[in-house]
Amino acid sequence: MRAVVLLSAGRHPLSARPAPVPVEMQAIALARGLGADVAGLHAGAPDLAVREALGQGMDRVTVLRIGEADDAVAALAAALAADPPDLVLAGNRGRGGEDSGLLPYLLAEALGWPIAANAVALAAAAEGLAVIQARARGARWRLVVAPPAVVTVHPAAPPALPFAYARARRGRIEEQEGRSAPLVPRVAEERPYRPRPRVIGVAGGGSAAERLRAATEVAGGGRVLVDPPPEEAARELLAWLRALGFSRSADE
Amino acid sequence: MRVGQRPRMRLDRRGVEAVPPAAMVAAEPAPRRRVVAEPAYLIFAVAEAEGGRLSRHERQVLGAARRLADPGGGAVVLVAPSLAEDAGAAGADRLLSLAAAERYDLEAATALLAAAAARYSPRHVLFAENEGGGDLARRLAARLGAPFAAGVEALSAREAVCPCRARRAELRLAPPFLLSLAPDRAAPHVGPAHEASPLDPPAAGAVRRGILTAAPLPVTAAEVPLAEAGLVVAAGNGVKDFAGFLRLCSALGATPGASRVVCDAGAMPRAAQVGASGTVLDALAYVAFGIAGAPQHLQGLGRVEHVAAVNTDIHAAMIARAELAIVQDARRVMPALLALLEAGG
Ligand SMILES: Cc1cc2nc3c(=O)[nH]c(=O)nc-3n(C[C@H](O)[C@H](O)[C@H](O)COP(=O)(O)OP(=O)(O)OC[C@H]3O[C@@H](n4cnc5c(N)ncnc54)[C@H](O)[C@@H]3O)c2cc1C
Ligand SMILES: Nc1ncnc2c1ncn2[C@@H]1O[C@H](COP(=O)(O)O)[C@@H](O)[C@H]1O
Repeated sequence: MRAVVLLSAGRHPLSARPAPVPVEMQAIALARGLGADVAGLHAGAPDLAVREALGQGMDRVTVLRIGEADDAVAALAAALAADPPDLVLAGNRGRGGEDSGLLPYLLAEALGWPIAANAVALAAAAEGLAVIQARARGARWRLVVAPPAVVTVHPAAPPALPFAYARARRGRIEEQEGRSAPLVPRVAEERPYRPRPRVIGVAGGGSAAERLRAATEVAGGGRVLVDPPPEEAARELLAWLRALGFSRSADE
Repeated sequence: MRVGQRPRMRLDRRGVEAVPPAAMVAAEPAPRRRVVAEPAYLIFAVAEAEGGRLSRHERQVLGAARRLADPGGGAVVLVAPSLAEDAGAAGADRLLSLAAAERYDLEAATALLAAAAARYSPRHVLFAENEGGGDLARRLAARLGAPFAAGVEALSAREAVCPCRARRAELRLAPPFLLSLAPDRAAPHVGPAHEASPLDPPAAGAVRRGILTAAPLPVTAAEVPLAEAGLVVAAGNGVKDFAGFLRLCSALGATPGASRVVCDAGAMPRAAQVGASGTVLDALAYVAFGIAGAPQHLQGLGRVEHVAAVNTDIHAAMIARAELAIVQDARRVMPALLALLEAGG
């Protein structure tokens, strides 16, 4: 089985220095766990962050050289269609670029391959590849996709392999000319990040009094049962939980 | 000197006209639904509505959709598989029930959404930026080739702001067709309920299949990290029988939590500690047995919507915080609840 891990030009959130994106390194570990032959692929300029990925479980990285204003999806899709692997792994969000997490979806669409998002584990299955997917609130789904497929990796996946210096020295980076297709620039202004306060309770809506109450009492107006028989208390609690949708839990 | 003739001026930073207190008492009209009969445009708010209810994050998405709809006389369409509760109270003018035949069929859901967008031509489609909503948003963006702003942190009818470059920079742009909203970045809708009248679902388009099967995995609640858990049941100093407590948690399908006193005493692992120096929860519901509700503990509940408490002290802060408060001995309620569950509830 052949797997390609998509590497982006990661930047460290504090120092802004080139640094591999953690989920992409976790993706390498997942691919290695499948026993796959793993190679890296990057579209853009050769980047220090991409070189460092060599020390984390990969011997080969191909860099598709394209210009600043070129579309990475077109270059990646052309290279992957020319020599399709069984599996393409990507991070669920980049860290250092636009970080929208959209690239793997656009790539899957361009290739006409299925995509499964937020993998935390992979296994070979009878009909294809089984992907355990992280969902909100700690839930997990199991998907089976037909290869070739694109799979994005979630930060809850197992940790990356330790960095091996000798391996990074030994690894090879191959540069190729990438297919260049101009990216339609989007009309957006970029400026330094400004942290904004989060919204709590009903803040921002309702009257000032409502917001004050929400900030101080939170729930308020609850039902109080004083000294009910324990059996009645238990029934009330259970009814309350069922009303919130926690009904099936007992028989799972 | 005449005081109290005119209501005192009130400072309200929202820039909305302040309602003088006298008017608040005087006019309390019968609850009427707001109706947007001839909307100038539509805003879609897409929700997974797990278990038939809107999550806090999804209510915020509806609130944000209202902010895009209200200035121009638009209407908010809640797009959800099925809903047990009142969508109108959450701010929906219309309700579009889009249920794929299979609940877990992401590719069919994408095709249905694309068909709905084609039929109703909304101005914007909003999603919750989490594992499920974010996935659907990107599937649709790739399918339609439509512009998309991911993890928006500030949104108005004129601009959307989303972080980029490892959160060292942010993009400001006119709100594109598709947007996903980060959690706790918009207020949910408050005020009068909207109409929530149903819209006709569109005919399903062709589905391109690549995902062969999809199903939820049974995850035992005890394995779920506390911060991700949906239901947390916690024990405080008022609980003595921890074996019984853990049995109760597993019978309820709840992730066990504890107060700091309990963790300090070694009765529960440190990882189970809820609060300022432990874990801050994102649960839908929280049940506290024998917990006083110290401020450091309550900080861990900042984001929990529904709280129940069992405590012998009616004056405990936990009782004041709870939506369902039971003044009774936890050592008697816990076995009764376990017995009820084991008898098949
Ligand atoms: C810097 C700092 C950080 C802290 N961080 C945290 C934190 O992260 N998390 C945290 O939890 N605490 C934290 N604390 C500790 C916190 O202040 C409280 O001491 C602690 O939460 C109290 O735990 P408790 O409610 O279980 O115990 P207690 O305060 O002893 O309260 C026990 C409660 O159980 C009730 N009770 C007793 N017997 C029964 C019974 N049989 N049935 C029903 N109810 C009964 C009592 O009425 C009482 O309300 C912190 C403290 C400090 C100073
Ligand atoms: N220029 C690129 N070359 C190769 N892979 C990329 C590139 N940009 C992004 N990716 C992959 O797509 C994922 C999501 O990136 P993004 O859509 O930029 O958030 C990243 O984690 C990478 O795996």
